[in-house]
Order: sequence, then structure tokens, then C-alpha cells
Amino acid sequence: MEFSDKIRRFFFPSLNRRYLSRLIFLGLSCYLIFSYLLIPLRIQGHSMEPTYGNGSFAFCWRPHYLFSQIERFDVVTVRFTGKNVMLLKRVIALPGEVLEFRQGILYINGKQILEPYVQYRTPWDLAPRKVKPGHVYVVGDNRGTLMSRHRFGQVNMARIIGGVIP
Amino acid sequence: MNKKILLVLILIAATAAFFLFPSDEKKIRNNLDSLAEYCSSASKETAIAALKKVALAGKLCSDPCMIQIESFDIHRDFKKKELTDHILMMKKMLPDTHFTFHDTTINFPLDNRAELTTTLRLTGKIDTDRFTEAYELSITADKIDGDWLFSSFSVVEFMEQ
Repeated sequence: MEFSDKIRRFFFPSLNRRYLSRLIFLGLSCYLIFSYLLIPLRIQGHSMEPTYGNGSFAFCWRPHYLFSQIERFDVVTVRFTGKNVMLLKRVIALPGEVLEFRQGILYINGKQILEPYVQYRTPWDLAPRKVKPGHVYVVGDNRGTLMSRHRFGQVNMARIIGGVIP
Repeated sequence: MNKKILLVLILIAATAAFFLFPSDEKKIRNNLDSLAEYCSSASKETAIAALKKVALAGKLCSDPCMIQIESFDIHRDFKKKELTDHILMMKKMLPDTHFTFHDTTINFPLDNRAELTTTLRLTGKIDTDRFTEAYELSITADKIDGDWLFSSFSVVEFMEQ
């Protein structure tokens, strides 16, 4: 077979049964993977800047927490009623921990925590509060906005859909 | 050949029945989509067009309609006039804003009552800045004189500071 024929057959294969079944298998695999395992995320908003900018793209890896626990500083997706609209936030405190913000600096159980991912900081002040069992405290990386305009707080772990890649 | 024609006719009849006689769930979903469309504002929406849309949005809600937003300390019944006035005011404050509902689930605890959970997504522009907001809503719809009308809206606050 000539090289040009091979190229032609690669780009324009004949629509035989074998080709169609492969096409259907590929379509189904893509649907299952990108609907249930690796959900594509288009990020809208500035709350996770500079880690994830407005208009950037990432994936939610759903099995991330099947065999591992949520850890501090993990970036997670938090669901509303489904997986079409989700919040992207960073976990800063785990169940039972007491957190507070003093002049924009995070304190967990009274100890200062360094947050190298925070580039924009304003002097947030939040009185100490304990994270309930079965909950984690999530917040965005962009602390350059007023605290009243930023959506953060403790959420039930059942609302966390998965981790974020990359 | 006759069997094929019969099969095609059955398919056409089934499709027509599906569109001409929608289920209660389909009717509620259509109402929700209409509500989103009527509450949305185009960038250069005229006052008349806005009034028309607000009146249509009001027709989709019962009178009174209960609104609950804990973060704004709102938990009371709104008369239809009051509700439409608020929608109109919101359209003026947020021109060029689009409402969409996502991930809606509908349950029927009673024959004439439906409970919805949905995610409301707002996208728009204030001055030159684009914004995106999302809220989880719990909505009740009641079948009144054959029409499904929304009788309560409450914002689910799942993130506690």
C-alpha cells in the first residue's frame, strides 16, 4: 500500500462496522470519563486568583477522595445541587480545628499558618470559630477583595465532589 | 410494508403526544426556564419590554409567594405587586444579567405540590466588570386551577462562616 493511501485511509476511513463500533466505544468512553470521573471545569470569577484565573480551565478528579482524606491546602470543588455549577475553593481548616484571621493572616488553633499561594491580601479579621465534625473550612486564594464580598465558610464534606487537576 | 407505516405512525403520534401533552415535571421545568428568561435583562432592554417580562414572571408565581433569604433576614410572604416591583427594581439594578437554572430535581410529595431543588446562576456585567454568582434554591410549586405556580423560593445557605 502506498504511503498516500495510508494517510488517506487514516483521515478518511471507510465507514465499515468495525470502524463504527470503535467510534461508538470511543464516544461512550469519553462521555463516561468526562461526565463522571474527570469533569472539565471552566473557571469563572476571581476568587481563586492567582492560582486559577478567570477564564482558565481545569478538571475535577472525582475519585480523589475515595481512598484518601481531605488535607489542608487541597483545592476542592464544592457542589450546589449538581455538578454543572460548582465552587472552587481551598481547604484551610479540618474538622475540630479552630481558625481565625487576624489582619489577613490565618491562624489555626492559635498558630500562624503560612499561605504561600495568597498573593493579594487585605486585612481580613474573623473571630475564632471551631469547624464542626464532618465539615471543612474553605476559602478562595484571592483575599484582595473585601471579606463581605468573598464567599467562604465551613461546608459539609458530602458537598465536596473531588480534587482539582492541575 | 404496512407494519413499517404503522410503526412510523405510532412514532409520530407518540412524539406529538409528548409535545402536546407534557408531563407535570415538563410543565414545571418549562415554567422555570420561562421565569429565568423573564428575570434576565438584555443590555438595551426598553422599559416597556422590561414591564412586560416582569408581568409574565409574576404570572408564574402564586399570590402571595413566600421568599426566604436568611443572609438578608427575609422570610415572609410577598404579594404579587410587591414581588413584581422587586423583580423590576432588580432588573434596573442589574442590567445585562442572565439567569439560568441548572441541576434541577423535582419531587411530588402531594398530587398538587412539587418541591424543586435547583442551582440559580447569574452572569452579567456591572459597569465594565463581569460577574458570576450561584445560589442553591429550594422552590415549591403548587397546581392551582390546572397551572403550576411557584409558591415559595428559599435560598439554601450551605456555607456557614
